[in-house]
Amino acid sequence: MPLLATLMGRFAQERPFDGLSVAACLHITAETAMLVRLLQAGGAAVSLAASNPLSTQDDIAAALACSYGIAVFARAGVDRRGYYRHIELALTRPQPGPDLIIDDGGDLTGTLHTQVPELLPHVRGGCESTTTGVIRLRRMAAEGALAFPVIAANDTAVKRMVDNTCGTGQSVIDGILRATNTLLAGKTVVVAGFGASGRGVATCASGFGAHVIVTEVDPVRALDASLRGFAVLPMSQAAPLGEIFVTATGSADVIGAGHLAAMRDGAILANAGHFDVEIDVRALADLAVAVRHDVRPHVDAYELPDGRTLLLLAEGRVVNLVAAEGHPPEVMDLAFGLEALALAWLATNTGKLEPGVHEVPADIDAEAARLVLASTGTSIDSLTPAQLAYRESWRTGS
Amino acid sequence: MSVEHQVADLSLAAFGRKEIQLAEHEMPGLMAVRAEYAPSQPLRGARITGSLHMTIQTAVLIETLTAIGAEVRWASCNIFSTQDHAAAAIVVGPDGTPDDPTGVPVFAWKGETLEEYWHCTEQALTWPGEDGPNMILDDGGDATLFVHKGAEYEKAGGVPTPAEDDSEEWRVILDRLRNSLADHPGKWTKVTAAIKGVTEETTTGVHRLYEMARAGSLLFPAINVNDSVTKSKFDNKYGCRHSLIDGINRGTDVLIGGKVALVCGYGDVGKGCSESLRGQGARVIVTEVDPICALQAAMDGYQVATLEDVIGTADIFVTATGNRNVITADQMSRMKHQAIVGNIGHFDNEIDMAGLARIPGVRRTNVKPQVDEWTFAGTNGEPDHSIIVLSEGRLLNLGNATGHPSFVMSNSFTNQVMAQVELFTKPEEYPVDVYTLPKHLDEKVARLHLDALGVHLTELTKEQADYIGVPVEGPYKSENYRY
Repeated sequence: MPLLATLMGRFAQERPFDGLSVAACLHITAETAMLVRLLQAGGAAVSLAASNPLSTQDDIAAALACSYGIAVFARAGVDRRGYYRHIELALTRPQPGPDLIIDDGGDLTGTLHTQVPELLPHVRGGCESTTTGVIRLRRMAAEGALAFPVIAANDTAVKRMVDNTCGTGQSVIDGILRATNTLLAGKTVVVAGFGASGRGVATCASGFGAHVIVTEVDPVRALDASLRGFAVLPMSQAAPLGEIFVTATGSADVIGAGHLAAMRDGAILANAGHFDVEIDVRALADLAVAVRHDVRPHVDAYELPDGRTLLLLAEGRVVNLVAAEGHPPEVMDLAFGLEALALAWLATNTGKLEPGVHEVPADIDAEAARLVLASTGTSIDSLTPAQLAYRESWRTGS
Repeated sequence: MSVEHQVADLSLAAFGRKEIQLAEHEMPGLMAVRAEYAPSQPLRGARITGSLHMTIQTAVLIETLTAIGAEVRWASCNIFSTQDHAAAAIVVGPDGTPDDPTGVPVFAWKGETLEEYWHCTEQALTWPGEDGPNMILDDGGDATLFVHKGAEYEKAGGVPTPAEDDSEEWRVILDRLRNSLADHPGKWTKVTAAIKGVTEETTTGVHRLYEMARAGSLLFPAINVNDSVTKSKFDNKYGCRHSLIDGINRGTDVLIGGKVALVCGYGDVGKGCSESLRGQGARVIVTEVDPICALQAAMDGYQVATLEDVIGTADIFVTATGNRNVITADQMSRMKHQAIVGNIGHFDNEIDMAGLARIPGVRRTNVKPQVDEWTFAGTNGEPDHSIIVLSEGRLLNLGNATGHPSFVMSNSFTNQVMAQVELFTKPEEYPVDVYTLPKHLDEKVARLHLDALGVHLTELTKEQADYIGVPVEGPYKSENYRY
């Protein structure tokens, strides 16, 4: 993770988080461990909870607690109550509460506002890592409920490109392959949602030789998918055609009872969105006459009354994290590098942002891209003074 | 003495010569062959009749043949595919002028009628003061067909009367042979006896040759150039990949991204077409009759359907099958309004154009050369609707664009030259039958094109070569290797 390694040196020197505490709610993976250690190197006291009950890699959690003195509250396979309890612990561990937060999905921010609102005045701001969380936070902000500024670290041009499109695209396919060992070539893959992630999944699946159908609600994205050569259909029409379904919408019940009822025998259902609500798993359970759990690891076979079987991967949770290893480190390197840079900016620019959801400052995005390029030995051109002058003047045309 | 010719306009020669010079740079195989064989002149004494699209690239082929000793007469093998400036430049020659041409006899112009087309073919086959060619370089097999039918009817004592359902083109051929037999009895028997062999460029012509060989009616040996790896896998795939899109764009300028494109046939041509349509953002659907090709298409991620499944939904239809009546007139009448229909197979029988013209109430409106709108009268109160047919159902990459790019044709044509040299110089090695070029020549053709692309080839060590049981210098693969 060359970007985080570069920042590690810089933060150790500049100490942007000196004396500050950071509460983080993230998927606990090796890459997250690097981020946490980076914040620590920058002077922060970090407490960490998992952002998904299934995604914790217990060995990483143990190493962070034992070897690096991080306050970790996470265990793979924890139940819902335990999951939220862990988040609360991560929030209340620092006294008198965290100065900064990092969230992934908005559960930490939600818990902070609803369960321990007494900590809110102390919080300077935070970063949100994923689209689902940003959507939630924008709704919070719209209701006036968000008490501090949050930088939407998911939502920069560079992050969308590298993390959502490339990282999710590749690792969702990885998860499906590891879980099912199915051949993608020649299969019909239905991708719900053609945002940054869905576009990546569709492109990767197509590269494997799959025939990809996209479903969308947004006409702009639907047109984009269509112009890239993907078939675009409503889910009701795609449902009987697909052999593999991937939801990547950030919405709920994208695959519902009616769609499930129309699917082909052996259809594979996977979710790439943050929460397990995109595939209506309850409806699937209601339809089924029997469920055979773990026919392969992370594959549950739902048997329907007419003898058809539908295969649900990872219980409908993020398939790339549950059945594979999440994003490759290069992707997380950029995502977390951006987040660390944004958090450091918040630490040193307290009070400059109003409560609400904010974009990552453009120069931070560019800086992250620049550092990644430098780490790969890629050189780029710079504008000459004459080119700069041309670009900034309206007087010169052809 | 002036050069015999029937071309559109000799004043186009200067433009043609400039394009030939550009093409020479892109045809390293042919230029290397010229350099290698110019001293030995292996085709000295060869009288070659060529029946092959008279384009700029073909011009470089013709001048390669003459550079290594051959005399040449040329006709195009398609009524639309001649590039008039190329034809003019070949007649004028590098050293002549339009007033004093010193090049090669050519009988070809863009937009021939069928009568004119077969007249040109006959002219190319008729050597003044001599019996005829002693070699044929064919593309689609029309020159070979003409001399074979001539000899056959001479033997039979006359030309048959066309049957009721014979095509218009067949009637034209029979008429021309009937006149020829009347004017020059015994001509084609003598011509065919003198011919040492034919080298055939394309799948369609190769079909005919194998059929004739099977039936025992083939009169001279043939080399199937089409099935050289450096021809079919390159020309058919990479050439069509390039020129299909070029033809559709020049013909219609329609945005391909987002459209549903149907490709009939997933052979080498269909594979190239599908890839480039997909590359433009089209959603490509393939039709196939061969389960292997159909499975290949599916594994490459294309939907495989029948034409009937998608007749009302596809925006672009491309035939690449080498078969006939792949798209029927009735199917065309049920296509979407403004659907684009084109063929990239050799002959114009993949799309039933004659049937289309016979549909009651159908109207043809010429939009521009090689682009026709065919309008179907609405029935039951529905409005009229129309489709766009490119190049009258003839191969649209040559009709609407300029065919394959020079580099691709350099591969094909270098095979042609090698094959001409083989048949002309080693007749004893080729009794009457259909052959493919030996693999070492196929590999040589590829080798001649590597430098131009900056390809650095790795050499086998003696040890490695022994390990896989091949000579260090090749050939590297068994005859049945599929590349």
